Amino acid sequence: MKKRKEHYWYIAPSLITLVVIVIFPTLFLWYVSFTNYDLTMGWEQRKLVGIRNFQYLAFEDKDFWHSVKISLWFMVFTVALEFILGLAIALLFNRRIRGKRLWMSFLIVPMVITPTIISLIWKLMLNTEYGVLNYLLSLLSLPKINWLGYENALWSVMMVDIWEWTPFVTLILYAGLQSLPQEPYEAVIVDGASPTQVFYYLTLPLLKPMIMIALLLRSIDSLKIFDVVYGLTQGGPGNATELMSMHIYRIGFRHTNWIGRASANAIVLLVIITILTTVLLRIMRRGTKEGY
Amino acid sequence: MATFPNYVRRRKIKGLILDILIAVVVIGCIFPFVWMIMTSIKTRVQTIDPSVWFFHPTLENYRAIFQKRDMFMYINNSLMVVALTTLASVVLGTFAAYGLARFQFNRKEDVAYWILSLRMLPPIAVVIPFFLLGRFIGLLDTHILLVIVYMSFNIPFTIWMMRGFIEDIPRELEEAAWVDGCSRFQAIRRIIFPLIAPGVAATAIFCVIQSWNEFSLAFFLTSFNARTVPTTVTFFLSVLGVIWGEMASVGVVATIPVLIFALIVQKYLVRGLTFGAIKS
Repeated sequence: MKKRKEHYWYIAPSLITLVVIVIFPTLFLWYVSFTNYDLTMGWEQRKLVGIRNFQYLAFEDKDFWHSVKISLWFMVFTVALEFILGLAIALLFNRRIRGKRLWMSFLIVPMVITPTIISLIWKLMLNTEYGVLNYLLSLLSLPKINWLGYENALWSVMMVDIWEWTPFVTLILYAGLQSLPQEPYEAVIVDGASPTQVFYYLTLPLLKPMIMIALLLRSIDSLKIFDVVYGLTQGGPGNATELMSMHIYRIGFRHTNWIGRASANAIVLLVIITILTTVLLRIMRRGTKEGY
Repeated sequence: MATFPNYVRRRKIKGLILDILIAVVVIGCIFPFVWMIMTSIKTRVQTIDPSVWFFHPTLENYRAIFQKRDMFMYINNSLMVVALTTLASVVLGTFAAYGLARFQFNRKEDVAYWILSLRMLPPIAVVIPFFLLGRFIGLLDTHILLVIVYMSFNIPFTIWMMRGFIEDIPRELEEAAWVDGCSRFQAIRRIIFPLIAPGVAATAIFCVIQSWNEFSLAFFLTSFNARTVPTTVTFFLSVLGVIWGEMASVGVVATIPVLIFALIVQKYLVRGLTFGAIKS
């Protein structure tokens, strides 16, 4: 029957394009991760070295473990803070306010500005000598902070990420709050629940699908982060802010040209992100079945 | 005030505190942007003096970036890449979305979620094979390579957004058109397309924003000819401290169009940010 294959004509062009531009290159990445290829040598000179690159990362490259450690810490800390602040701000907006639409449209600013521009403008604001942040601190008679020095650089990058993405969590959770059903609230208020109880036992559970989607999307994106770190610190000082993407960049392109090792490292990142994505998609699938 | 019961006054104070908190949030969100605009119209000396809040504005920095730094070329490159990748992705993606929305077939959801998972790929993992392959076939530093690579995130995004928009339209409308003798394709053109046009526009705008802002892939895959606006960040990394004003004016030029676009699609923002998973 002709009809049964009809969907194919609609979907195939996209599917074929995606296989060619995503699946094929990803398989190629796996292949390169098992070779000793290096940008300074000819492609023909490459040799298959098995899992040597992965062994190198695991046992010889201390910076690799450092990058994994700070990437995970970066993810946990920024996502946790973005969640707490994002929820608080969403609750703040979840009542009658004059000109709410206008105020909320300002929240969009941090997340749509070009990320590299964000990093540069923050770099100016965080400058120790003439940055506006230290100037504002001095108005309050507080000491200057060396924001991008070794001690503080990672905190500063996290602060910028939180500034950039808290509104994202806010917008999703605000949309969730606005779409909550009214009936259960009427019921529990009649039963005499306190506002805190209502929040913990009713609002949070009802919001859970939105919360999970927001948190997982943020976790995945924060592990992928490259642009803002590149503009702000380039992984430095030393390796203070060398998150996983920056480490791959450094060993593959910037200092050494070890593409094989960089590919192996990229595979590690890919696997971690795939795990998180699987969880996210499972939750989204369940969500659609329940009708969210 | 004494005639008011105590709780009324307490509620007023609480409302005031909440309003102040909102003001703090809003100022916090836009302050860096405002500071960038201010820096872009300061003179060189003023840019390194944060105590200057009121001054006579200058357009010197804007003149400098267009005359000395060839901003026109970067904007031109960005426009070309963004326009082509958006057009290709929206056309291909919308058809695929129609296929997913209107047909039933085996493992349909598996296909749909597999497509979505591609949107999560880390750019640094995508860029290594593209860098090598681009080198082998001599496509490095060309617009077409960026157009193709950007389709890897724009097509999945379009499919997911448009599937939602198409599913929002009742099947009966289409079926009525078939009864009247339209082919499926005619029905799409005459009935479905006019109804999903706002969705197509919103999706295209999201693709424009994502592609315009993209840095990691453009940074590795271009070197001179095809460099896009976000890669201009590299000018300001080594010689910084002298040209903050120029940096800020590049920032203003790069972000104003995106902000305008974002305001246009504000209504669909949550939907776009969650790939259609949450419709508000």
